[in-house]
Amino acid sequence: MITYQLTSMAIGIGLAAIILFLVRRDHLHGPYAIWWIGTAATVALLGLFPRLFDVLASKMGVSYPPVLAIVLGFSLLLLKMLTMDLDRSRQERLIRRLAQRLAMLEAQEISSSTQPPSPSRTKGGERNPETTEPELAAASPPLPQGERDRE
Amino acid sequence: MAEPDCPIVLIPAHNEEATVGTIVAQVRLLWSCPVVVIDDCSSDTTAQVARNAGATVLPLTLQLGAWGAIQTGLRYALRQGYRTAITLDADGQHEPQDISLLLQPLIDGQAAVAIGAFPERASRARRIAWNYFRWLTGLKLEDITSGFRAYNHTAMTVLASREASLLDYQDVGVLLILRRKGLHTIEVPVAMQPRVLGASRVFRSWWVVGKYMLQTSLLCLARVGYNHLPPAADD
Repeated sequence: MITYQLTSMAIGIGLAAIILFLVRRDHLHGPYAIWWIGTAATVALLGLFPRLFDVLASKMGVSYPPVLAIVLGFSLLLLKMLTMDLDRSRQERLIRRLAQRLAMLEAQEISSSTQPPSPSRTKGGERNPETTEPELAAASPPLPQGERDRE
Repeated sequence: MAEPDCPIVLIPAHNEEATVGTIVAQVRLLWSCPVVVIDDCSSDTTAQVARNAGATVLPLTLQLGAWGAIQTGLRYALRQGYRTAITLDADGQHEPQDISLLLQPLIDGQAAVAIGAFPERASRARRIAWNYFRWLTGLKLEDITSGFRAYNHTAMTVLASREASLLDYQDVGVLLILRRKGLHTIEVPVAMQPRVLGASRVFRSWWVVGKYMLQTSLLCLARVGYNHLPPAADD
């Protein structure tokens, strides 16, 4: 005879184990790993002690505890999805800037392979600290501070 | 390093091999200024044609759309030290000899951005869309979507920033950023040729138009009451 405690324990521990396995295998990047470790701990705790929700619900004035679990779980899911889209937008911006920069570099590479950079370009002025490749630093004129910050 | 007075001409192009060569050649013939073609991931020989015609080609590895391509050009122009940029469509709609009309207000210091406007080209649907956006944003411009523009150094710097990188179209979002930064935009009437080949990138199908209208409306609404500088007299 399997009790509901056994079922909930199996689900909780199982989920936590999968998450920990993925984190240990380096499949989740830093900040995501922290979120998921927290999730794993919560899931394991609630799986082992499903009665925790009854206590919490009575303290919060909810008469039917499972609803509290569902509502809380759902809100957290929505929150997670929202942060995912925020992150995707941030990445979209980065990817676009990166593609633009790559295009600029490729154009410079072509022009510097057809004609060597003139001496007036290479001398004088501070160099863009972001450019590590020597050819690039030589081919691009120094930028004023304001423009460099916007790059 | 570029001469400070010399403008740079930026032409975003996506599969425009039929026309881009002629435009580049025309611009180079009329104005001895550098021409940059931003190849927005074309699947045809646009890049090669442009290069053969004497343009510098910026090849994008991902398709970023018209605005993403123009921003690439603006960033490149700033890096190369240019202080004025002209943008032109690659499909032959704009007359290169009108570039001087666009440059004049910038030279006189009347405006930071001059837009070559030809509102008569608009279809009925497009007019309705423009009226709607004018009403939504309070912009007073006639030809909102024109790609024939001249930017001064301040406008170039503002539009090359990260803030402008998530825009998908070069019209309303760009104009709102300019207004927010207190930059003056004016329109200059110019003549435009009917599009020789291909179709507008925005007004292509009802689905695309719907997406565009919804996205741009949201963009306008999201900016309501946000840093509204008093609009300049005729912008």
